[in-house]
Amino acid sequence: MSETTYRFQKTNRTLMERLFEAPAVGKMSPVAKVVAYVLLAVWSFFVLFPIYWVIITSFKDAAAVNQGPFYIPFVDYQPTLDAWRIQFTEDTFCNFGAIGRQMGLLVYNSFAFIVSPIVSLQPMEPQICKIYLAFTNSVVISIFSTGLCVFVGSMAAYALARIQYRPRFGNIMIFVLLIVAVIIATTYVGIPWWASAAVALALFFFLARALRGWFKMSLGNGDILFWIISQRILPPVVVVIPLYVMFQAVGMLDTHMALILLYAVANMPIVVWLMYDFFRHLPIELEESAQLDGATRLRIFWEIVLPLTRPGLAATTLLILVLSWNEYLFAVFLATVKVQTMPIMVAAKNTGEKGIFWWEMSALIVVMIIPVILMAVLLTRFISKGVLMGAVKG
Amino acid sequence: MAEMGRAASVRFENVEKSFGSVKVLVDFDLEVKSGEFVVLLGASGSGKTTALRILSGLEEPSAGQVYIGDQSVTEILPKYRDISMVFQSYALYPHKTVAENIAFPLKVRKVGKSEMDAATLSAAKQVQIENLLERYPRQLSGGQRQRVALARAIIRRPSVFLMDEPLSNLDAKLRGHMRAQLKHMQKSMGITTIYVTHDQIEAMTLAHRVAILEKGVLQQLATPAEIYNDPANLFVAQFIGSPPMNVIRGNLDGNHLVTNGVRVDTPVAGQIAQAVMGVRPEDCAIAPPSEGTLSGKIYTNELIGDHALVTIDWGGDQISVKAPKDFPGEMGDDIGVVIPRDHLFVFDETNGRRVR
Repeated sequence: MSETTYRFQKTNRTLMERLFEAPAVGKMSPVAKVVAYVLLAVWSFFVLFPIYWVIITSFKDAAAVNQGPFYIPFVDYQPTLDAWRIQFTEDTFCNFGAIGRQMGLLVYNSFAFIVSPIVSLQPMEPQICKIYLAFTNSVVISIFSTGLCVFVGSMAAYALARIQYRPRFGNIMIFVLLIVAVIIATTYVGIPWWASAAVALALFFFLARALRGWFKMSLGNGDILFWIISQRILPPVVVVIPLYVMFQAVGMLDTHMALILLYAVANMPIVVWLMYDFFRHLPIELEESAQLDGATRLRIFWEIVLPLTRPGLAATTLLILVLSWNEYLFAVFLATVKVQTMPIMVAAKNTGEKGIFWWEMSALIVVMIIPVILMAVLLTRFISKGVLMGAVKG
Repeated sequence: MAEMGRAASVRFENVEKSFGSVKVLVDFDLEVKSGEFVVLLGASGSGKTTALRILSGLEEPSAGQVYIGDQSVTEILPKYRDISMVFQSYALYPHKTVAENIAFPLKVRKVGKSEMDAATLSAAKQVQIENLLERYPRQLSGGQRQRVALARAIIRRPSVFLMDEPLSNLDAKLRGHMRAQLKHMQKSMGITTIYVTHDQIEAMTLAHRVAILEKGVLQQLATPAEIYNDPANLFVAQFIGSPPMNVIRGNLDGNHLVTNGVRVDTPVAGQIAQAVMGVRPEDCAIAPPSEGTLSGKIYTNELIGDHALVTIDWGGDQISVKAPKDFPGEMGDDIGVVIPRDHLFVFDETNGRRVR
């Protein structure tokens, strides 16, 4: 055995080599391991400590908070349930009997809403227990808006991933001009909106057909995608006042539907972008095969495409769910009384004249965090299971 | 529309296909008889898969008509064409069990449960996978996946059966086995089958007739024996046969081809300055230098098994000859080659056409 080969035997390396050289491509050297885990530990502390702090603060009273930062219950301060108790006692309606009645009301009101086209049932005003109301509002709004957003967004993404669109530049210009014409006709001339819209639509099809040869330039799927994501470029605070005015005009201020629609629309670009990438990487033969087997496009989407993108779908759903669960800005403008969500409740503990009620705020934050953690655990199962399934795909 | 479960004929009429400025199929005509097994053979990019996809409806032709039976299906959606297709990647649905995969074509047609189960079992039995029905594709080997894809294709007894390189992902041994099974199945079911491959052995063994494509142009459509023994042009002659046909350039003078200072007797006559003669290695014979049509030195002598392949340097060209397996020649030995006049093909090099 020659000198060189001998030196590279694993057991004969110098101390420095052993410390700094990775034993295999998929492994780390001892030093790298220590550095990596120290960094991870530091980062974990940064991430987890605020949660710990919020939890212990929710068991403090005003005095314990104002005395300064104390971190260890029973040693530094005496824990108390005051902050929690007050959430359920500040209103007369916050006892378990009242909450049970409210649940009944919720079922009744949903039923009334569903049958309203046929039978006129007046919805009953719930007696308000603020924390319960805010929590159910948050649940209803985030679940329905996420459902709507992911449903519509993933279909749009699939269409963009599979169908080539070539909208002609000229047609888009004609469309925009006609919309302007409709607005002018409706607001300044006084023609009913439906009449001007119908005329404009007819004109659009006529002009688009007549001028077909004129406009050669057309856009593609990439432009459409960019246009969709560009909706997120503006900071939301810029559009919140126009949105307020619009919802006011249609009488939807302070309704669940307003926030559901708004969140669905605001988050749609994210869904489209994420799902587009998942759909694009599916092998197209599966869909072609299903098509030859006689399946319709909708069936292919539901039965072949969606199950195969389940990991992506779960990740996207989780992201959108968290985004709408935590949304504050739109809610604070559009949900004034009845549909206040949890983030608004939390922010309301900053009372201004009496200062911030940190202990009560912490209790509310804990209430807000728990469902998110549950959801993450639940959906992560889908995510990891799905990834395995994709990895072995023929 | 062809009646369900009845084998139908297929016809391509002047079909053209271009992607942008690239012409993939040029004036493509092909007629496949009902119940016939036709193989589209060609290198990658020859347009064979495109032809298949046009027939399936996954691709639209730029011009021309496609018929199944007597009906033009050019404008008909794929799912109404009553065809089934086996993809190179098998295209099994990974989240469905084998049984669900096989039954999918019936499920979308809303066939009753009991009928569907019976059909699934019978299709599975036909390809011997009835014991795998509860498994998922990821738990199967390549050959088993291939069988599932086949079962899914035969379950509804289509009038035309399309296969896009179905065996190319299998190892050599399994490929031979599946080939035999495919041939048997096609014959017993009598379903019109169009099969795309780049493998000439598959084409020769499976097909009733072989269609050879190159650069989107149909070169020859004939039985395997005709393709081999009577190639229509230089491309077909060189494409088919292993080891490939010897090709030697020269000029045709009367009924002699003059090349490397030798006049070789040819079965055809003419005056062509740029001519090519082709002769298959197994039609030539080794001879002593003085008795050969031509003579040269041995370049290599490779023992293949049942024969030896001897390559001989001859002027600027090389010529391969199949010799008996005990042929003792060594590199550099002088050797003669007998080229039989009757097995010689002559082509016009300018257009590749066979001189007859």
